[in-house]
Amino acid sequence: MAQLALRNLVKRYGSTEVLHGINLEVADGEFVVFVGPSGCGKSTTLRMIAGLEEVSDGVIEIGGREVNHLEPKERDIAMVFQNYAIYPHMSVRKNIAFGLRSSKMSKPDKARRIEEVAGILSMTELLERKPSQLSGGQRQRVAIGRAMVRDPSVFLFDEPLSNLDAQLRTQMRLEIKKLHQRVGNTIVFVTHDQVEAMTMADRIVIMKDGRIQQVGTPDEVYHRPQNTFVARFIGAPSMNMLDAEMSDGRVIMPQGQAIQLGGLTTAQPGRITLGVRPDDLVPVESDMLIQGKVTVREPLGSETLIYVDTPGGEIVVKADGRKPPAVGEVVRLGADPANLHVFDRETGMVLR
Amino acid sequence: MTFYRNLTIRQKQIAWAWAFLAVPVLFYGIIRFYPTGNAILISFQDWNLLGDRTWSGLENYRKLVADPVFWKVFKNTFLYLILGTPISLVLSFIIAYQLDKVRFMHSTLRMLYFLPFMTSAVAMAWVWRWFYQPVPTGLFNNLLAQLGIPQIAFLNSTTNALPSVLAPAVWAGLGFQIIIFMAGLRAIPVSYYEAARIDGVGWWTQLTQITIPLLRPTIVFIVVFSSIGFLRIFDHVYNMTTNNPGGPLNATKPLVLMIYGTAFNDFDMGYAAAQTVVLFVILLIVSLLQLRLLRSE
Repeated sequence: MAQLALRNLVKRYGSTEVLHGINLEVADGEFVVFVGPSGCGKSTTLRMIAGLEEVSDGVIEIGGREVNHLEPKERDIAMVFQNYAIYPHMSVRKNIAFGLRSSKMSKPDKARRIEEVAGILSMTELLERKPSQLSGGQRQRVAIGRAMVRDPSVFLFDEPLSNLDAQLRTQMRLEIKKLHQRVGNTIVFVTHDQVEAMTMADRIVIMKDGRIQQVGTPDEVYHRPQNTFVARFIGAPSMNMLDAEMSDGRVIMPQGQAIQLGGLTTAQPGRITLGVRPDDLVPVESDMLIQGKVTVREPLGSETLIYVDTPGGEIVVKADGRKPPAVGEVVRLGADPANLHVFDRETGMVLR
Repeated sequence: MTFYRNLTIRQKQIAWAWAFLAVPVLFYGIIRFYPTGNAILISFQDWNLLGDRTWSGLENYRKLVADPVFWKVFKNTFLYLILGTPISLVLSFIIAYQLDKVRFMHSTLRMLYFLPFMTSAVAMAWVWRWFYQPVPTGLFNNLLAQLGIPQIAFLNSTTNALPSVLAPAVWAGLGFQIIIFMAGLRAIPVSYYEAARIDGVGWWTQLTQITIPLLRPTIVFIVVFSSIGFLRIFDHVYNMTTNNPGGPLNATKPLVLMIYGTAFNDFDMGYAAAQTVVLFVILLIVSLLQLRLLRSE
């Protein structure tokens, strides 16, 4: 059964429509990540699920009941905010207890619940401290704790890791994922960081300009992007996009090489975009796809990023860190046809 | 110049700092500290402004303690403080809290509330004085008469006069306090309230558990600031009771007005200085007490 369902969700501010009909079903216990550039509507969607923004059109269902007109507290959700929203004048214990303020639990039950949550998040010894005495990661945990005590059916996270430094972010990412595996609640997580999305999600929802671009497992969105936006957005460095022509069911590269590709949904001749990931490009002797001169090298240790100037534009290649080609060297690059992505150049939609 | 060049960077910084500090130090020395010291000195002397200063020891203070008018005035001054500070605090908070939620004509309303603060106290006092007149002149008594309610002697009654004088003083200070409160309210992150809404707490809990505790620094500032203002109240009283300053029967007279009368009607500078020293000590104690009480947990 879907724990959370969005049906044709629309949000308008005055006459400006910012969400154009979002449809999504989230299963019980699923970890779903909304990802997209700023202004894509991911946070708005989350705030609408939370009840902090009015629904202009469409339906939100939580646990099988429509919640469009319910107050946030009646929706059986909990939310973790980007700036944590923990109260500086209250101790950690009081902050966590705030989540239970309106609950009908007895006092000893509440105290037991707080201890239990503190235990799960391993911060029992921090309960009497003030937020100012905590590190960024610990504050983050307090915010999660306050959400957890309520034992909601859906957890909402609004970019909770973006205020942390890179190292702590990686650590908290892992902690949240472990927490999800242990507690098993449904989670909707919003981020602008595709690495966060890839590492944590069961399913990723990629959004742009108020529309869902693709929904899928990390594997699906990485290996089978539905359009050029998803292809470029997921994966670092971004997928290389080369302008090419299609004729007679073959792809003609800018330098004239022709490749036979199977599985195309259309054989229409026309202008296409050929996408190939930096890791799929390898130096070859024969069956070359494209060639060009190395302009810059970025050594990253285990691998080196090579920027190659080609007639189709600059492309990035992940080369072996031990013996990368030198700057100025001309490299011939090829790729397994199975790893090539073909998009319609006009619509940006995938063609195979 | 070689001397300056041979100084270390730190010494040069100190030299420059003192060069800039010299102006305010001089200003404060001459305009503030010298008269303060002089006033304390005069409080132990007899001086009628023209003649010689003669030592009188603690005579001025002894006279003050024995003076029934001083005790009346002392009580009045504290009444202004005890009534004025909480009333203006609560009023300005309520207005700021509501105004913060209003989007429609927000800036216009805020400007309207701030207007009295920019107005001259003299003009305001005279307008209010006119409000308080009996029929057919006074606005308030005219309204009362229309409703069939008996006249109220606002400024001529010993019980009503002090609150009547206090009202415009409170009103005049509101605009400033509202602006400060609104700045304080704006500084509280919206997500605190959103988190509270998700946790399902009501507005009263939000107000008492989130808003007011987080406004503590703002409240400390306003309480100290307005207390000092009410302890030094003068212009409103003087302008609303010009025929008989501080009247009727000293019912509205604050300490500053008594000091003014002693100094420039009775030309008893020593006695006035002694009263000033007492006011200074009161201000110091009240301010320190409030800072101590409100600042720390």
